[in-house]
Amino acid sequence: MDQSLRCAGMRDILPDEMRRFRRVEEAFRTACLGWGYDEVRTPVLEHLHLFTTAGTLSPQMLGRVYSFLDWDGWSGERVVMRPDSTIPAARLYAESLDGGRVAKLFYVQNVFRFAESDDSREDWQCGVELIGESQPQGDIELVLLAREVLDRLGIEADVRLSHPGLLRAVLARAGLDASGQLALYDRILDGDDTALPELQARLPEVGASLEMLLGIEGEGRAYLGNVRSAFLSSVPEMETPLDELAVVAEALEDLGCRTLISAAMVRNFEYYTGPAFQLEVAGRRAGGGGRYDALVSLIGERQVPASGFALEAGVLAGLLADEEPRRRLPATVVTAATDSASLASAFRLAAALRERGLAAQVAGSLPDGGPRVEVSGEAFSVSVEAGKARKLDSVEAVAEALREAVRD
Amino acid sequence: MIKLALPAGDLRTPIAGVLGAAGLNVEGYSEGSRTYILSVGGEDVVARVFREKDIPIQIALGNYDLGVCGMAWVEELRARFPHHPVVPLRDLGVGCSGLYAASAAGSGRTLASPGGRGLRIASEYPNIAEAFALAARLPAYRVLALWGAAEAYPPEDADLAIIAAADEAAVSGHGLSPLLCLMESSAWLIANAESLAKVDLRPVLKPLAAGAAGGATPRLRLPPPLAAAGAGAGPAPRGADTVRMALPDGHQQRHAVAALGDAGLLPAQGYDGSQCLRRPVSPLTGLEFKVIRPHDMPQLVAAGAMDLAITGRDCLTEHLSRFPSSPLEEVADLQRGQFDLAAVASEAVPASDLGGALEHWRAEGRETIRVASEFPGIADAYARSRHLGRYRVIPIAGASEGFVPADAELLIEGTETGRTLVENRLKTIDLLFRSTTCLIARRDRGLSGRRRDVFQQVVRAMQQAANARQAV
Repeated sequence: MDQSLRCAGMRDILPDEMRRFRRVEEAFRTACLGWGYDEVRTPVLEHLHLFTTAGTLSPQMLGRVYSFLDWDGWSGERVVMRPDSTIPAARLYAESLDGGRVAKLFYVQNVFRFAESDDSREDWQCGVELIGESQPQGDIELVLLAREVLDRLGIEADVRLSHPGLLRAVLARAGLDASGQLALYDRILDGDDTALPELQARLPEVGASLEMLLGIEGEGRAYLGNVRSAFLSSVPEMETPLDELAVVAEALEDLGCRTLISAAMVRNFEYYTGPAFQLEVAGRRAGGGGRYDALVSLIGERQVPASGFALEAGVLAGLLADEEPRRRLPATVVTAATDSASLASAFRLAAALRERGLAAQVAGSLPDGGPRVEVSGEAFSVSVEAGKARKLDSVEAVAEALREAVRD
Repeated sequence: MIKLALPAGDLRTPIAGVLGAAGLNVEGYSEGSRTYILSVGGEDVVARVFREKDIPIQIALGNYDLGVCGMAWVEELRARFPHHPVVPLRDLGVGCSGLYAASAAGSGRTLASPGGRGLRIASEYPNIAEAFALAARLPAYRVLALWGAAEAYPPEDADLAIIAAADEAAVSGHGLSPLLCLMESSAWLIANAESLAKVDLRPVLKPLAAGAAGGATPRLRLPPPLAAAGAGAGPAPRGADTVRMALPDGHQQRHAVAALGDAGLLPAQGYDGSQCLRRPVSPLTGLEFKVIRPHDMPQLVAAGAMDLAITGRDCLTEHLSRFPSSPLEEVADLQRGQFDLAAVASEAVPASDLGGALEHWRAEGRETIRVASEFPGIADAYARSRHLGRYRVIPIAGASEGFVPADAELLIEGTETGRTLVENRLKTIDLLFRSTTCLIARRDRGLSGRRRDVFQQVVRAMQQAANARQAV
């Protein structure tokens, strides 16, 4: 076929990859259940306004969402195929779970964002949301949980920590109004080379080079100490984010988790308000998350602290080695008959074998592989290997012979 | 063969002048011509006439090598598809206007404080409106994509409008206060990038390049983030006893004028055969008129912003095709403005019905049937119900005759006398339905007291006048 019938950016998951994908899911689900999280699922379609509410997604991200008028959208209110799962999870919490208690939720679901050419436009995420927890224990727990998932898969990752408050504190110092801060924030994160000198020029009282803060990734405890000594006297607003970051970074270090600090890391997701992290494997982003204490109040009515992360299931599945299918070949009840009584008899035998815990199917011709059973009146002929048939006289005996074959 | 897309509408006369001055004799391309397939000065150039809005899309698709349209429409395409292959070549120095974001005069809205959460932005340029809202970071905004008359929406039916106008004074003339000029626009010669790289376009480029004005390519200027946006003024309060009724402009206007006249509801001034004020004063206390595009009425009535509207059954059916559970209904057939909505194909198709035409196209090896229409919802429902198989609906702004046969197999098109079809070598192969001017309302009226009385009085008067006309 010259031209694929698939939509650009959409992928089929074939059996080999699906097995790897399920391994990621199983590792994730096992780890989450172990930390006391409950599984949820949110709908694919959400109201667009949940995402356009200022303080949720960046304009760059919003410019790539799939939105449209639904069949009852005559009011002009558009819906969107979820481009992110944290905002729907916050909506779910605000609408259904907000009883003032902590909610520990996890999900495996897809998100949709436009990408150029054939880059993936549908990504599967293994996500976790810890809603109602304001303590640094939550931030630390999330990094450790994410690492545990990767450990279970045998994948090593670099952990980068950041805090949007660092850059926001510098921007606020620069004498810009809120809109100017947002514009410059976007330019810096977009890699605009002129943005950093422009910001530096606005901050003559800041002696240290912003390059040190925004252009360098440092080792956790040591680098944070350097930043503190270089910037705190001129940008005292950095103290709180530095303190929050230090607690998490130092605790993780004590637990043997090496971290890198990257002040200019959080992009596209404007809802982050506190420590954020990113996992990278061989230079590729495999997941990330952070604290979003303002998001639930933007959607619901109450201020609720929260944090979460999502792992890119497709990226992780791609890092795993193929493995032989654990599935055994089903036994095939072979019948060339075309009359209803013989067919019913064959299907009845297959059902009886399945009831006894065996995989069984019916076919009109010999299968490519796996054990087969032929029915001849009241008797059965079971062949596990080519040319070696055993005559048996009961379903129970057939089942036992097939079990023996599986054990062998 | 060079393919050139030229604009219909207001630009037609000035562009005809520019082409003539450049020595490009485009036969028949003059005001009022209904001929859509033309030749340019005996050269190997074929020109077709489209609605201005459709021209950048046709160029981007590569259906046409060159085109002429206002740069605002190129930017409207770019706002949604930033990598489109449309190259602006020359400013032709005509059709100059600006694109403004504006609010109702006296609303208290400013660019720094356009309003709080849930702003409604009305525009014929929905992609630009979207880009404006995203750049400004307006929280939970809503864009009303319109066919026209966006200037009439603030303050009752929108908080902001993005409109084309000659200058700020013209914006103010609409009763609006300009907040920001998003771009200056004029008519440009544009090209498809691949055509520019591979096709010899000199027969058109050479004469037009010599006579054109210079200047930088106009680009959209978006606002900075407006994070400090205050609450601003809310929606304009609506009179508790007022019934709001939408009246049509354009070709439906004369039918509406006649129907209102028969029902004794014609405004004393501002809405007749020669005038079209956006807010003519109703002769009935408690009844408020607003003049907008017929295509845009069903959405406003369904959403409860308007109680009644005079529109065409084509527009109502289009709305119901897109939104099957919409609460709209036709409350009176005004027995005017009758035309057929039909499936139209090229005269060259050797078939008299859809089945024969499909057989012909399939025999030609055409895998996808392209259906062009300014009623994409109806076209889509038609294609599904008539089992067109693999098909593609091409939504267009009008002047659809130019699309067949090169760019579409089928049109879903309104035809009154059939004259335009004959002139463009087209023919009807299926009739969808007969459309007339009608009065529409919500099924669940939700009216009480004085409003219910006024509503019933208007409906009764319109129905009686229509019945009397039918009896004649």
